[in-house]
Amino acid sequence: MEHIILVRYGEIHLKGLNRPFFERKLIEGIHNALSGFGAKVRREQGRIYVLGVSDDRVEEACDNLTRVFGVHSVSPAAAVEKDWNVIVETAARMVEAETQGDKMTFKVFSRRADKRFPMTSEDINHELGHELLVRFPNLSVDVRTPELKVCVEIRDKAFLYVREIMGAGGMPTGTAGRAALLISGGIDSPVAGYLMAKRGLELSAVHFYSYPYTSERARDKVIDLARLVSRYAGPIRLHLVPFTDIQLAIYEQCPPKETTILMRRLMMRIAEMIAEKDGALALITGEALGQVASQTLESLCVTDDAVHMPVFRPLIGFDKEDIVAIAKRINTFETSILPYEDCCTVFVPQHPVTKPEVKKLRESEALVDFSEMIEKAIAATELIEVS
Amino acid sequence: MIYLDNSATTRTLPEAAAAVQYYMTEGFFNPAAAYSPAVESERAVNGARARLAAAMHVTADEILYTSGGTESNNMAILGTLGAMRGKGRIIVSAVEHPSVYEVMRAKGKEYEVLEAPVDREGALDLHALEGRLNANTQLVSCMQVNNETGAVNDIAALSKLLKKAAPQALLHVDGVQGFLKVPFEGRNCDLYSISGHKFHGPKGVGALYVKKGTRFLGGQIGGGQEKNLRSGTTNTPGIMGMDVALQYYLSNLDAMRGNMRECKMRLAKNLLSLQDVFINGPAPEAGAPHILNASFLGVRGEVLLHALEEKHIYVSTGSACSAHKKGKNRILNAMGVVGDRQEGAIRFSFSAFNMPEEMDETAEVIAGILALLRRFKRR
Repeated sequence: MEHIILVRYGEIHLKGLNRPFFERKLIEGIHNALSGFGAKVRREQGRIYVLGVSDDRVEEACDNLTRVFGVHSVSPAAAVEKDWNVIVETAARMVEAETQGDKMTFKVFSRRADKRFPMTSEDINHELGHELLVRFPNLSVDVRTPELKVCVEIRDKAFLYVREIMGAGGMPTGTAGRAALLISGGIDSPVAGYLMAKRGLELSAVHFYSYPYTSERARDKVIDLARLVSRYAGPIRLHLVPFTDIQLAIYEQCPPKETTILMRRLMMRIAEMIAEKDGALALITGEALGQVASQTLESLCVTDDAVHMPVFRPLIGFDKEDIVAIAKRINTFETSILPYEDCCTVFVPQHPVTKPEVKKLRESEALVDFSEMIEKAIAATELIEVS
Repeated sequence: MIYLDNSATTRTLPEAAAAVQYYMTEGFFNPAAAYSPAVESERAVNGARARLAAAMHVTADEILYTSGGTESNNMAILGTLGAMRGKGRIIVSAVEHPSVYEVMRAKGKEYEVLEAPVDREGALDLHALEGRLNANTQLVSCMQVNNETGAVNDIAALSKLLKKAAPQALLHVDGVQGFLKVPFEGRNCDLYSISGHKFHGPKGVGALYVKKGTRFLGGQIGGGQEKNLRSGTTNTPGIMGMDVALQYYLSNLDAMRGNMRECKMRLAKNLLSLQDVFINGPAPEAGAPHILNASFLGVRGEVLLHALEEKHIYVSTGSACSAHKKGKNRILNAMGVVGDRQEGAIRFSFSAFNMPEEMDETAEVIAGILALLRRFKRR
C-alpha cells in the first residue's frame, strides 16, 4: 500500500483556454508548500495527486496543502492494487482507525474511472457497504447525511480515503498580478493582505515606522506578521519606510484635527510610488468602513484622492469580530496584539476630523512642501524579502 | 555605548566568562560522578559554595544553587508554604518583583495574602506592616533593594519587628538587586535570593539561602542534588563563573560601590539642573548606589528611551521584565508616582564599570532630546 494525497481544486474549473496557466501556478504553489517533503506531484483528469510523502509526514503535508490558495480540499488516501479483497481489507483498516469502535453512520461513495474493473460503482457501493456492516456492528448506513464517507476510486490503482480536509480555496498565487499592502502592526492589514492574496495576487508590503516614537520591536513585529501572511501568500517584498520627519512636519505645520488623515494621504502616496517600482498595479489596505475617524466614507474619499491606483479594501464591509476571526484562523492575531506602539497611534489628535473634504485637505497638504521629505523617505526605505 | 541598564543585567566579567568556558570544555565532568576529575569539579563547586556563604555571613550547607533570581524567589515562597502546617496569613510588599508578587497572588485562594504598603520613596512602611502582623502570620516577603527606584529596606529593623510582633513568621528577602550593592547579614532573615548576572556573573545561575532549621520543601524533584532540595545536574560553569564575579566584587567592594555612587550622584545633579525633571524614590545619596529613577515631564519614557538608544545610550522605563507590558507601572503607583510623572519615568542603573564622565555626556544628550521631544508633545 502506498500513501498518497488527493488534491482537489475549485474555481479553476471555470477557466477556459487559460486553464493550463492556472493549473501550472497551482502546482507551483503545491511544490513550494511541500519543499523538503520529497514529494512528486502528478496532475490528471482535473485532480492533483501528491506521491512520495513518507507515512509519518502525511498529516503535516496535508496541513501545508490546505494553506495553498486554489486548493479546494485534500484527502490523505491509500493507493492499493485493484483487487477486491485488498480493497475491502484497506477500507476496513481505515474505518477501524476512524471510528475506534464508536457508533457512526456511513455511506460508501465509489467512482469507476477504469471501466475494465469488473464491478460497477453501484456494485462496489453495495458490496463494500455490506462487508463493512458485517465487520463493524457499530456502523449503520445513512445515505443522506452519513457521518463517515468511505470513498473508493478505481483508476490506475484503487484509491481509498475517508477524510476530506477543506483547503484555503481562492486562486493560485501569482495568477492575478501584484499589489502593495499597507501593513501596520495591527489586526486588520495582515488579514486584508491574506484575503487579496487568496484571489491570486502576489504581495509587496509597505510599512511606515517612526523612530524613536516606535521601537525596534514594533518593526520586528511587522516582519513577523509579513512572514505569517507569506505562509499563504508566498514571498512578500516588505518595504520599511522611515516616517518620523513627515509626521513631525505634519504635526508642526498642519491643522491638528487633520494630522491623521493627512498622514494617511502621504502614506498612500509613498506606497503608490513604491508599488510602481515593484510592478504592482493596486494598493491594499485593511480599512473597514466607519471603524475609526480615518475610515469614514468621507475620509476614504480623501485618501483615495491622494493616489491614482485602485485601492482594494477587502475588509470594507467586515465587522471587527469577523476580522479577528480570520486573524485567528490564519494565525496572525497573537502577533498583532503584541503591545508595541505603531506609528499611526503616536500623534493621534484628541478630536480628529471625521468628515474631511477633499478640497480642504488638498489645501492643508499644500501648506508644506513634502516632496523632498518623500524622496528622502523612499531613498532610506529598506527592503526585506520575507518568505 | 553607554550602558545604564545594569539592573536588567550586567556585562559578564571576562574572567568569569573564562571560568565558564573552562568548566565547559575542561572541567566539564558531572560533579556527582565517581571518578577523580569529577571529584575535582565537586571540590571546585564546594569551594565556591563556601565563599558565597561567607559573603552572606552564613554557612555553606545553607546555600542552594538555582537557575537565578526567579527560581530562587519562587522556591523560597513555594518551598516554605509547602512545608507549613495550616494556612495562615502571608504578607508581601506592594513593590515586589513579579517572581515574588505573582507567586503570592497565585496563593490568594489558599492563604490570606496581604500587601504591605511602601512610603513615597518606595521603602517598606514598617509601621503599616506592624499593623498587619498577627499570631497567624506565616511568611513575609520583601526585597532588599527595589529594582526600579533603588529604595533600600532596613532588613535588620524588619527582622527585629517580626521577632517582636510575629516571631513564628518566616522572612524571605529578595536580594537580587541588593546583594553586594548594600551591606547584608544573613542571620537577619530566613531565606535570601540572589542572581549571578546582576553582579557580572553569567546568566542562568543564582542561589537561595535557607537558614538551617527552616521547614522547607525544596523545588525540582529528581536525582537528589543540592541536598535533595533542588535536583538537576549541577551547573558547574555557571556556579564557577558566578564565583569569579563574586570574588572580584568582594576584593574591590568599596571602590565598586564608591564608583557607582559617584556616577549616580553626578547624573542626578546633572539631570536636576534641567527643567521639569524629578527624582523618584529616595534622595540620590540615601538609596542604593546603583539605581536612579527620574521623571521627565512632557515626554513619554518609552520615546526618550528610544531616542537615547539612537545615541547608543541604553536605559530602561521600568524593570526589563515588565518593559513589554503596557499600562500602569505597579511600583510607581504604589509610591504615589502617577500621571505625567509616571509616564515620563526612566530608570538609570549603574555598574562599577561606568565612568563618571559618561554621566555628563548622558545628561547632555538628554537635554538635547528633551528640547526636541517637548516640542512635539502629544496634544
